[in-house]
Amino acid sequence: MKPATRTRRFVAFLAERLPAEKMSLQAMVQKKEVPVHRWSWAYYLGGLALFFFVIQIVTGLMMLFYYEPSVATAHASVEHLTNNVPGGALIRNLHAWSSSAMILSVMLHLLTTFAMKAFGRPRELTWVSGVLLLFLVFGFGFTGYLLPWHQIAVNATKVGLGSIEQFGEYLPGDLADLPRQIRETIQGGATVGQATLSRFYAIHVVVLPLISLGLLGFHLLSVQLHGMSPGVDRPTGRTEKFFPLFILKDLKVWGVVFLMLAVVAICIPFDAFLDYPLGAPYNPLGSTPDGIKPEWYFFWMYYPLELLPFWLVAGGMGVLQVGLLLVPRIFRGTSRKVLRTLAAAAAVYLIVITLFGQAIYEMFSGGH
Amino acid sequence: MDAFLYVGLPYLSLTILVVGTIVRFRQAPFSVSSLSSQVLERKKLALGTVPWHLGILVLLAGHLVAFLVPDIWRSLTANHAFLLTVEVIGFAAAAMAAFGLGTLVYRRLVTARLQAVTNRMDLVVLGLLLVQVLVGISVALSARWGAQWSAGTTSPYLWSLLTFQPDLTYVADLPPSVRLHLGLAWLTFALIPFTRLIHGFSIPLGYLVRAPQQVIWATRRRLARDTARAGGVSPETSRRHFVKGLGGLFAAGVLMSVGVLDKLVGYFKGQRLERSEQVDLLEKKLERLRATSEEQALELERLEKDAILVAQLGQLDPRQGRYFIDYQMRPALAFKGADQLPILISAKCTHLGCTVASDVNDKGQILCPCHISYFDIKTGAPNPGAPAKAPLPRIGWLLKDTKGTVVMTQDGAGNRTWPEGEDAIAPDALDGLQVWIAKRFEEGA
Repeated sequence: MKPATRTRRFVAFLAERLPAEKMSLQAMVQKKEVPVHRWSWAYYLGGLALFFFVIQIVTGLMMLFYYEPSVATAHASVEHLTNNVPGGALIRNLHAWSSSAMILSVMLHLLTTFAMKAFGRPRELTWVSGVLLLFLVFGFGFTGYLLPWHQIAVNATKVGLGSIEQFGEYLPGDLADLPRQIRETIQGGATVGQATLSRFYAIHVVVLPLISLGLLGFHLLSVQLHGMSPGVDRPTGRTEKFFPLFILKDLKVWGVVFLMLAVVAICIPFDAFLDYPLGAPYNPLGSTPDGIKPEWYFFWMYYPLELLPFWLVAGGMGVLQVGLLLVPRIFRGTSRKVLRTLAAAAAVYLIVITLFGQAIYEMFSGGH
Repeated sequence: MDAFLYVGLPYLSLTILVVGTIVRFRQAPFSVSSLSSQVLERKKLALGTVPWHLGILVLLAGHLVAFLVPDIWRSLTANHAFLLTVEVIGFAAAAMAAFGLGTLVYRRLVTARLQAVTNRMDLVVLGLLLVQVLVGISVALSARWGAQWSAGTTSPYLWSLLTFQPDLTYVADLPPSVRLHLGLAWLTFALIPFTRLIHGFSIPLGYLVRAPQQVIWATRRRLARDTARAGGVSPETSRRHFVKGLGGLFAAGVLMSVGVLDKLVGYFKGQRLERSEQVDLLEKKLERLRATSEEQALELERLEKDAILVAQLGQLDPRQGRYFIDYQMRPALAFKGADQLPILISAKCTHLGCTVASDVNDKGQILCPCHISYFDIKTGAPNPGAPAKAPLPRIGWLLKDTKGTVVMTQDGAGNRTWPEGEDAIAPDALDGLQVWIAKRFEEGA
């Protein structure tokens, strides 16, 4: 293929994905229609994730007023926020609950989008930006977990970063040391310490939010440009106007969800489900507490890591990540029926491993 | 005089109100209305009547609540956030009412068409209400937190009237503006049957719940236009939706802003800590700072010194490890071996870096709790099938006597230097020696 042809094709590809003629308020808002069918509820999930993201930004900014990112004071400042500042426990609790809710809705959003084949032409880039946002969300979870600097948080981070080093076993010669160097670059020293805290803080509070805002902007723009995907093989033909009808319904859902979130955040401390509420401050000389586990949203890769050989899981993760990004290419000819079955299987796996992971782990690892 | 104004006048005006209203309803039922002048002038009317009625209804409701349930009201207003919110709402309503009423007075005075339908009583009522609202605002401004004190003064006074045991003591000491406000209120009540104020008894509340009615407009085009403007909903239905929605939004907005403002203000204001709490907080912070500074002192020591004391050999135990920090600032454990010599081993799990526990089990192993690896303390080797594959690195040591002379060494690989011949140490003298780690053993490892 000649370079000129290639360029022309690339431009045509971009033009179809980002049609400039549709970039008007009229096309993107007034004319947009939302299909009505059995799966219509799935159209709310992305907006819901966005709503939780907004809550995260607001409550996160509020916590910044009190948090001190140093190993000497981080834990004390979080404790102060929780115990002494009026409403501090509520804000922190909202942040924790809403983070879980955001990850849950993002996962559901991914599965339903897949099942409805909403990644088909011309929505490939929407899907890719969505998958990148998914990775960012997990990054948020991992970096935010360290910030309170308690015993569990630091040790969990050690374990998480330690798995990078395990790649060393499978690399030949001098390369075997590379994962260790990468790990130490990430944590800023030989062990998890002040440098790690500063880095995770910067990543969690500045870097990831900036990147997600950019990606989110693109994601939303392309959603508005291309409109809602039909989602089913035989559209019912019924639609409702995006503005103002659907957006009002969206707001209604957000209102109800916020009410539920507020009630939950007031009544149930997020820590109540952990064995170590706020935990003891990290002590570098203490031994690691028994049975530390990551947050529930990492169970789907934590338990396989515990049970299966590392190379298998690591390889699987790599395939999964690349596979997710390439979904629009791999599954472009697949029917919605097959996609739906695949999504259901993934959902079953996620539910089972998240709810019963510990039991399965104990069953297979002989009592531990 | 007081007795007339605050006991006689109330009973008189309430009697006039009841009797007069009944008479008017019986004799001139079709006059029970506000005599709308909307046909004569629309724009200024809308600008005036809407804020006036919204404001005055909120104010009346507030007055009524404080009167009906003074005890509940007092305990509610004891909450500072609630009191603030109520007062803010009150002031906003008063401002709306004053603005609206002012507009209505102005409109009545300057609109030529209205002069024809304006009688003297209308002007009296307007003037009286305007004065009453302004007096009310001045009361709220000069005697602050009326929402709170009214529950203990004017409410009991009103109750005493209602129960026919008039008690003047409640009002005798009130500021003049409050007394004026009360007197004007009684006067206004008395005027209701004789003026357009009577329309308070003919509010078309049924409108909100009755079935929609088909309104036949003079022209079809106008209906079509109004329907299109309301987004495809017929004007009759849409207006009702609007009223209901506005009410709902207003209530929800008030609730939301009370809650959110209460939390926000408290959050950013922070808590003024009591002395003991402040002491606790500072002690805790200081303790953490001390721990951090100790850690940094350890780090500095490791950078500066060629050898670092771990413990007296006699302090070590074969079953219970003693934690120390090695030259890489990683946790390590010290035991006493079967040969009475020290065993120094890294405590950073070779699997994922957790800190290994310090108790030795019957097989001479220590456990990493994260993923259950057992390590032999002598060789550092993990048990077969453990998640950890590499052994825990052993750490070299020096034994020094009390004078500081190195008497025995072992490097990380286990190579020992023994004192020979007559320098050999008696086993019972071993416990007095000190265990040190040395930089030269770490660099090779």
